Parts: sequence; structure tokens; C-alpha cells
Amino acid sequence: MPVHDLGYRNWEGSRTARILRPMFVARSGVSLVWRRRWLRTMLMLAWLPIIVPAFGIFAFEYSATEPEMRQVVVQVLSGPFQRPDLAQQAISDPAEVRHEVWTMLILTFFRYPQLSAMVLLVGLIAPMLVSYDLRSKAYLLYFSRPLSPTEYILGKAAVVWFFLGMIVTIPALLLYVIGILLSPDLSVIGETWDIPLRILGASVVLLVPTTAVAMCYSSSTSESRYASFAWFATWILGFVAYQFLTFMNVRRPPRRRRGGPDWQDLDIDFDRYRLLSPYHTLGKVESWVFGLDPTEGSVWPAICLLLIITVVGFWIVRRRIIARLSV
Amino acid sequence: MTGLLGPNGSGKSTLIKSLLGLVRTQQGSGSVLGMEWPQRVREIRDQVGYLPEDDCYIAGLNGIESVAFMAHLAGLPGTEGLRRAHEICDFCDIGEERYRPVESYSTGMRQKLKFAQALVHDPPFLILDEPTTGLDPDQREAMLRRIRTLYRTHGKSILLSTHILPDVRSVCDQVIMLVGGEVRIIDTLENLSRPAEPTVHIAIYGDSAPLAGRLREDGFSVTEDSDGSLRIAGIDTDQIPGLWQKAAETGACVRRLTPAMNSLDEIFFHAASETELR
Repeated sequence: MPVHDLGYRNWEGSRTARILRPMFVARSGVSLVWRRRWLRTMLMLAWLPIIVPAFGIFAFEYSATEPEMRQVVVQVLSGPFQRPDLAQQAISDPAEVRHEVWTMLILTFFRYPQLSAMVLLVGLIAPMLVSYDLRSKAYLLYFSRPLSPTEYILGKAAVVWFFLGMIVTIPALLLYVIGILLSPDLSVIGETWDIPLRILGASVVLLVPTTAVAMCYSSSTSESRYASFAWFATWILGFVAYQFLTFMNVRRPPRRRRGGPDWQDLDIDFDRYRLLSPYHTLGKVESWVFGLDPTEGSVWPAICLLLIITVVGFWIVRRRIIARLSV
Repeated sequence: MTGLLGPNGSGKSTLIKSLLGLVRTQQGSGSVLGMEWPQRVREIRDQVGYLPEDDCYIAGLNGIESVAFMAHLAGLPGTEGLRRAHEICDFCDIGEERYRPVESYSTGMRQKLKFAQALVHDPPFLILDEPTTGLDPDQREAMLRRIRTLYRTHGKSILLSTHILPDVRSVCDQVIMLVGGEVRIIDTLENLSRPAEPTVHIAIYGDSAPLAGRLREDGFSVTEDSDGSLRIAGIDTDQIPGLWQKAAETGACVRRLTPAMNSLDEIFFHAASETELR
């Protein structure tokens, strides 16, 4: 018996507002996930790709004064980005193309390394969020407090959003800040004020539907490994199906003198099978958010699909939880 | 303190979940702690401590984190929630085990943990669904002692749902018995224990037949129990001296004379099988 044991004492104090209770669900989830060493390592690794766009912005801003950097910018814009017109403009009038170059670099960061990191991270975190609670019947504890299923879902989703925000939104905003710090004067903020808003918009596009799908899988089973499998299968099968159906008739793409294949000359309909692949659907909407959508098809089918996935995903999670409570 | 009794599938847990708004009700209304039910179930949940029957825990947390988390969910601020969690763990006799992951807890430890979680926000009303399941006799007695303390010293209202009738007998003063989803009995334990007509049990050394015969001659209803004792119905307290007199006259040596009570087991059995109590 501890020496400080005073038996039961009544407690009187002010309680926190009920609207803040989902925050405790999120905080507990974040703290649980944070304990895993592999996750901390992964978060650190997920920040590494920022070096490439950061160097791009650095090179662009210094190209006005450093001829060597100018050469690098021309090579990058003409090569990987396939925008020789932009490369010429970057030499003649950098201020005019600053907004486009920055958004292009940030979109590339969003589109390729971070989208892949997101798939991996969500696949490792989200499946256990609800399925563990179903297996250990923890929902009885959560809902013995004044917490609604919607608030519970919000709290759990916030765990995923927190970690995705750490690897996607914060690095992208940091890129923007780096750009501002490297630019000649603060008037650049006036030219690029919309970029942080576009970053936040693209983050929402990336975070919300993916969380809905991952939580939907998680709530469908008490075995998190099945949910993980379903999550990765969705991305891999979608990606492979899109690539196969879009490029199956292309035998030998003509090659440029330098760089990769010249897809534009092949008259490929990139949008026809896009909705099959979550990766490409998200990419289309993100490009649209950044104002850099390179394909001709309308973005609205992709937006509608993501909206439907989000609503249906969260609805299924809610339904599954309510169904469990009734047992 | 009210005991909620009923055979398996009688609807005890469903009733509790309905009170907490965890299952949707099709009809009916009422009030819990003066709050309209089912309109204000979330406010009701804020004022209720619920110990679920199921083995449930939040995976990955250790004992103290689980209790502190429930405190935070109930609205206790950060540090205060943790302080209160430690205090309640002390009260519930959760020692150093509080720093172990809950997955490693025994059934009894998890039961104590659930009790601490139900209690941490100091609710005025506790709903305890099978709180002594999985506890060894010492721990069971300690748990019942804690429940009694909360009721008697701290004025908590307690609804105790259990199959273990001695638990109800030892701590409850009211009983609700559910059978097939309907309330079959609702009364104080004292009233229920009292037979329909005043009755005494009398145990005799040796042959009880002469005394039984004499009592029957005087108009009492006498039956002989399996242990040889006599059950005399319809005898008032003021007639007890006369009973001693008759025992002396018939040469019966009285070993024990006690007022007969309906046992809870008997009440439970009769209610469940729809027979009328004697």
C-alpha cells in the first residue's frame, strides 16, 4: 500500500470543452504511433527528397547572378520538366516565371516522392487505427465518454493527417519559405502569395480521401494486416491497370535526342483510364490545384471521384462502428 | 445501490447500453440523473462511469496511460488527469503494474483497470457490468468493499449488473430483475427477502414430530424441510413465546429458531421461471 494513499477522493474542477475531446483521441494515437522507431526513421527519410526542389529553387534564384547556375536551370527545365520555353524565359526574365518554376518544383515534390511516401506511411499507420480498437473492443471505452462516432473518426483521422502533414505540407511550406529567403527582396511574396494556399489545398486533396479509404479498410476487419494488404493492393493494382491500359498500344515511343520518350507525339489519351488509378487521379487534381495540369481532360471526374470516395469511406467507417456497438 | 439481475440474454447489457445511448432505442423515454433520456445521452455519459462486461482495452497503452486517457476523454485537463489517474490506481490497488502494457494484464487486473477507468472522472452514477468477473476471492471481496465505500461514504449511485447473487446480497439494497427484456421484479432486497406471510424456521435435536403435531393441532401450517427442520408459516412475532412453550411441553430441544427469509437464489429462480413467490 503506498504511503501517499488517501483512499477515494471526490474531484471537483472544470472540465475541458466537449468539442476538444476528439483532440485527445488524436493525441493518444499520435503518441502511440510515435513510439515506433521505424516510423521516426521513415519520417526522417521522407524529408530527404526536399533537397532536390530546394536545390532547384536555390539554382533558380541564383541564376540571375551566377552563370553556372543559369546553365543548371536551363538543363533541368529543358530536360526532366520538358519545358525549353520556360528555360529561355528563366534566363531572360526570371521574375516573370518565378511563380511557375516554384509551383512546378513544389508540385513535383508533392507528386512523386511525397505521394509515394504517403502511400507507404498511411499503409503502415492507418490500418491499425480502427482495427485494433475493434479487436480489443476499445470502442466500448471510447464511447462510454461523451464522444460521438463522428468525433471518434475525426480523432483517428487526425492521427494520419498529423503524420502526413509532417512529410507533405510542412516540407512544402518550408520550400516556399526557402524560396522567399533566397529571393532578391520581399516583393516576391506579393507575386507568390497564392502558393502556400495551393500547398494547403493540395494537402487536403492528398490527405482526406486517402485517410477515408485507409480507415474504411481498417474498420472492415479486426486484423490490421488484411487492411494493409487491401491498401497496398488498391494502389498497386490501380497503378498497374492504368499504365497497362494507357500504354498497351504503344510499341516504340519515339525518343528525343536527349531525355526520355516524347509522349506528346504519340497522341495518348492520358485521362481515359485515369480514374482507375488513385495515384494518377490524385496527381491530376493536385496538378489542377497548382494550376499546372498538363493533360486536356476535365479535372471534375477526378474531383467527383475523390469526393465520393471520401464520403463513402467515412460513412462506412461510421456504420461499422455503430454496428459494433449494437452487438 | 441497485442490483440488475437476470438470466443470460435477458437484456441487462442492452439496457445499460441503451442508457448510455450506445444502442438506438425505438421507443420509450425517461430520465437519468435528472437529464432527459434518450435526448441527452451524451450529457448523461459525461456523468456516468461505465465498467463494460467485455474484456476491452486500448492496445499499446500501459495501465496508467489508459486511465489518464479516459480522464482526458472525460474532460480532465492534462496534468490533473494524470494525477487523478494515479490517485484512482492507488484506490483500485493497481500498484507498479500500472506501468505495464495492458495487453500483459491478467483478467483480474484488467477488471481493476476498467474499474479505475470508470471512476477516474468522479461520476455521480456508476454502471458496473459484472465487476467481479475473473477476480479471485480476495480481490472480489476488495472490489465489493470499494463499491460499498463509494456508495456509503461518497454517495455514488450504483447500478450493479451481475450473475453472482452473493455479490448483490452483500452490497445492494434494491434489485431489478429482468427476464426476456421485461422488468419482472423491482423492489428493495429487504422486501423481497420477506416471505408472503410471517414464517419461522425451527431446528430440533431429536424427533420433531411431536412438536409438529402440536402446532398443526393449534392451526399452524407446518412443513418439514429436507434437513429435518420445521417451517412454520403464519406465525406472528408475538406468538413466538407460545412456540417456546409448546416446545417445552412436547419435550423438544430447540437448536435454532430463525425468521424465514426468501433467498435471492430462490427469488431469481422463481422470477426466471415465471412462478409466483410464496
